[in-house]
Amino acid sequence: MLEYAWLIPVFPFAAFILISLLPRRTLWWEDGAVYAIGGAIGAMALSFLVIWDVLMGNTLTAGAPRFEWLVVGDFSLTFGIWIDQLTAIMLLVVSVVGTLVVIYSGGYMHGEGETRRRYYAEIALFISVMYGLVIADNYLLMFIFWELVGLCSYLLIGFWYERPSAAIAAKRAFIVTRVGDIMFMAGIIILFKYVGSLDFAELFSERASQAVPADMMVLATALIFGGAIGKSAQFPLHEWLPDAMEGPTTVSALIHAATMVKAGVYLTARSYPLLVQAPESLLFVAVIGGVTALIAATAALAQNDIKRVLAYSTISQLGYMILGLGAGGYLVIHGGSGAGYSAATFHLMNHAFFKALLFLCAGSVIHSVGTNDMRQMGGLGKAMKITSLTMLIGSLAIAGMPPLSGFWSKDEVLAAVWHAGEFDRVFLLLWLMGVATAFLTAFYMFRMWFMTFAGEPRSDYHAHESPKTMTVPLMILAGLAVVSGFALFIGEGFKDFMDGSITGLLHGGHHESLADVAAEIFSDPLTYVSLSLAVLGILLARKIYYVPGFDRSIFSRGFNGKLQRALENRWYISKFYDDFAVRVVYALSVVADVFDRYVIDGIVNGFAYLGGNTGNVFRKAQTGDVRSYTALIVVGICLLLILMLYVIPWGGR
Amino acid sequence: MLENVPILSLVILVPLIGAFLTLGLGRHEKYAKVVALAFSTVAFVLSLMVTYAFATDPAGSSASHHNGYQFYEEYAWVETLGISYIVGIDGISLPLFVLTTLLCMLAILFSWDTDKRPKEYFGLMLILEVGVLGVFVSLDYFMFYVFWEVVLIPMYFMIGIWGGPRKDYAAIKFFIYTHVASLALLIAIMAMYFEAGLQTFSMEAIAAESVGFAKGVQVAIFAVMFFGFGVKLPMVPFHTWLPDAHVEAPTAGSVLLAGLLLKMGGYGIIRVAMPSLPAGASEMAIVMAIIGVVSIVYGGMVCLAQTDLKKMVAYSSVSHMGFVLLGYATLTQVGVVAGVFQMFAHGLVTAILFMMCGVVQHKCGTRLIPQLGGLAKKMPIAAALMTAGFLASLGLPGLVSFAAEFMVFYATFVKWSLWVFVPIAAVAVTAAYYLWALQRSMFGPLTDRIDTSHLKDMDWFEYVPVGVLVALTAVFGVFPALIFSRIDPAVEILLRLFGGG
Repeated sequence: MLEYAWLIPVFPFAAFILISLLPRRTLWWEDGAVYAIGGAIGAMALSFLVIWDVLMGNTLTAGAPRFEWLVVGDFSLTFGIWIDQLTAIMLLVVSVVGTLVVIYSGGYMHGEGETRRRYYAEIALFISVMYGLVIADNYLLMFIFWELVGLCSYLLIGFWYERPSAAIAAKRAFIVTRVGDIMFMAGIIILFKYVGSLDFAELFSERASQAVPADMMVLATALIFGGAIGKSAQFPLHEWLPDAMEGPTTVSALIHAATMVKAGVYLTARSYPLLVQAPESLLFVAVIGGVTALIAATAALAQNDIKRVLAYSTISQLGYMILGLGAGGYLVIHGGSGAGYSAATFHLMNHAFFKALLFLCAGSVIHSVGTNDMRQMGGLGKAMKITSLTMLIGSLAIAGMPPLSGFWSKDEVLAAVWHAGEFDRVFLLLWLMGVATAFLTAFYMFRMWFMTFAGEPRSDYHAHESPKTMTVPLMILAGLAVVSGFALFIGEGFKDFMDGSITGLLHGGHHESLADVAAEIFSDPLTYVSLSLAVLGILLARKIYYVPGFDRSIFSRGFNGKLQRALENRWYISKFYDDFAVRVVYALSVVADVFDRYVIDGIVNGFAYLGGNTGNVFRKAQTGDVRSYTALIVVGICLLLILMLYVIPWGGR
Repeated sequence: MLENVPILSLVILVPLIGAFLTLGLGRHEKYAKVVALAFSTVAFVLSLMVTYAFATDPAGSSASHHNGYQFYEEYAWVETLGISYIVGIDGISLPLFVLTTLLCMLAILFSWDTDKRPKEYFGLMLILEVGVLGVFVSLDYFMFYVFWEVVLIPMYFMIGIWGGPRKDYAAIKFFIYTHVASLALLIAIMAMYFEAGLQTFSMEAIAAESVGFAKGVQVAIFAVMFFGFGVKLPMVPFHTWLPDAHVEAPTAGSVLLAGLLLKMGGYGIIRVAMPSLPAGASEMAIVMAIIGVVSIVYGGMVCLAQTDLKKMVAYSSVSHMGFVLLGYATLTQVGVVAGVFQMFAHGLVTAILFMMCGVVQHKCGTRLIPQLGGLAKKMPIAAALMTAGFLASLGLPGLVSFAAEFMVFYATFVKWSLWVFVPIAAVAVTAAYYLWALQRSMFGPLTDRIDTSHLKDMDWFEYVPVGVLVALTAVFGVFPALIFSRIDPAVEILLRLFGGG
């Protein structure tokens, strides 16, 4: 079964081709939605078969059918597929969210007219290349799909290209992530030189770890993680993601919350066998993750655009996963435990479901109200019962309320970071940042929920519940947000399952019983620290944004409003890029252009001018006077004679 | 099937006959484009047959082969001076050979609405095709030089007659600049001819002798030759003729100029300079690398500041041809093969870009980016094809340039370790100038700085050639081995001179 997994991306790709090329009248319902849904469902069905096979304990990490991409001398690149537990998690996320989002689009994009064809073509292409990224068994193949998902992201952010803000956001997203991609490419080039192959099977082998010098391993892994910084919107390359909210909300849910931005986390998790050989890189990973989680959570506090709140929340949660992976690497090195690794991947899966849910709920709200600005909303809970309820579930899940999914995975991540503190004190600081983030997360999520659904309407709108094609996916995702956390206790347990994909790195099998896992969570005082902070956050949000009578102008007065302005301006990071970095590069390019025009070309034209003038001198010599010619000839002969008789023999000696 | 057919001569001859017929149409000049298209199509089909019959492994060729060259023909011409007509093709020249016939055919189709002196226009294009094809198959220095010079003349007239407002300046500059380079090349050829003292202009015969030249002599001749070819490439700082020529040239002229004429420089280095003077090339490799890197980075930076779409594309050629030079300079199998592939890739991609600049110029009456904006609304096909072309040019995986760029970076890292970060950083700049241009010209609200009320999308004779090229960039992006498997053996033979690469 598993060797047919390469067929998964073929379904949506076929849909992409059909939607692009078929004449318009054969596109049927919603201008091609049928094909996109068909492709997504086909891929989902096959994905489920593959996931089932993996659950049964089968993996495909060697001996897959291979395609020879190019061979030059002894430089050869062949591509195949790689199916293990980590792949299965990603397949689950991409297939479920992908399919639900395409179905939801049937309602959400209804008013877009002919442009829906472009939309469905691009979204089908995205799903296809995202699957390709997940099943690739080679860094270069992964990089190829990595760039292609970036392309789809670019095209879909700029879907409403007539809006200048959308066109700018699309460009910015592509260029910023490309900075990360370049680092990724440089990293794999380094590995390629020393190992001579980019197949995971080769790179993760004993031979490869001996072939790469230690300092190059650190550099290569840090650079590969640089790719994750770009794609998963980690500090300092995170500012493209809030801007990417210019795209349709379905795109934000699918690409910029559930799947593509997870690719960086996936890449980091996939590179574990290399990362654990470079503790310096792991520390770098953890610090970037922790800093990102906190910075993004603070920026989310002051956003008034509902999608931007969710975007910063996504960045913050991705930071959590990255932090968990960094800490998990230390646990692998020092204790041979995969706790951090499984915690981060667990959070990846749970977050995909509840964040897709939150975005689709926001889409439902925007669809109904016609604005993104939460200051214009309020009181929507009455008109939109399903949306408000499902969004409440999503908010509780991300805030980490038991027994919803976010509680389990966030707790596991924080526990892993705490334990890594035994090996490096930095992790204790990072743990503090993580806990603070948990508090902030609960606060800004409920600020958003209260501002949107509670109280009285703050503007004149006619809210209505969205059609079934939109609410049914919401309900399914809400269900998943409730139950996906229990994966921790299904079968042999999630931890045990995930350990399977890095089994070579773990020493021995210290198998925990499921009861132990549960007991560990509930007996650990740290669990109650983060939980009570989250509850506090929710209560505080209720106090400030729901209970009447709170004077919110205090925010603009405290620190003379500096803090609020800094938060609203997202710590001025975006401003730094726009007003400084971009200008410096542009100024350099203008200098280069002027240099080219006036110095390099100036010299060329100077020579031409010189040549022209010399020509004039010679022209004047053509007097037509025979006597002066004769004189010149005589002088010339004399010069030649002197040359031949004296100069040449002398020079020869 | 092509055992005893002088197929290469035939491919050269067909456009030549076509050129004479086109020029001699007299009053029926409205048929010029039909005749020209017919003959260029025949040449293209014949070149496809060559490709089909070409054996990847040179020894396994059924057609007459000779030291790695297939379809080899040799006829004595001026025996007293040792001039003969020798043609042959190998894996290095084959992709460029087919690229030539393809681009000429598509450029003729693209110029379908040319009504200013069409006889001369199409006739000159066919003569240009003859010259370029001749350069790519000649194995005799004399013939090589003759074909090399033949190319200059039609291009001079194309710029000078059908060009833009500053056409006279641009045409003269193009001619003098590249002619100075040709003279350097001639001096180098003569130096090799006399130094070898074999009384023959045969490249192979001279190369067999010249590899034994003293190192100083090799370096000197190589340097002169490198200048001669490098101007054509073009390399910084000898590139300033290029933006001027492109800005003024008619669209088809630009397509052929960037798609083919630049390749003659890159081809000359790999076919003539490096195998004949390996010691010189080894000594000069670091110079080539530095010039290559400077071209890549500096060309990209200059692009960012351009406001004329076509000038931006012209400078991007400087940047992308720098990859060819950098690949060669590594003197490794991977690097050199990637350099050759990059020439082919750049030929396809840059043709798309210049055609799209032509479309914008044609439909909007200006190419100045600040004047444009929001064209995607009125010209969806143009926007889609332009996006595809820009993405191909910025090295998006799945499209043709990516494989070449990746391999050049790899070879650079193997040879010069972390210095690779200098050219690799330019990749971000490339993405920046293309996407910025796209955003300002195609996206955003529809411009009101030009009259857009009669703005129409591309005509069929415009989107057909561009569409074909876009499709090819995808095909060779997904299956680069189609080309690499042909280049690889030829480069292997060449690199034996450098101690096996």
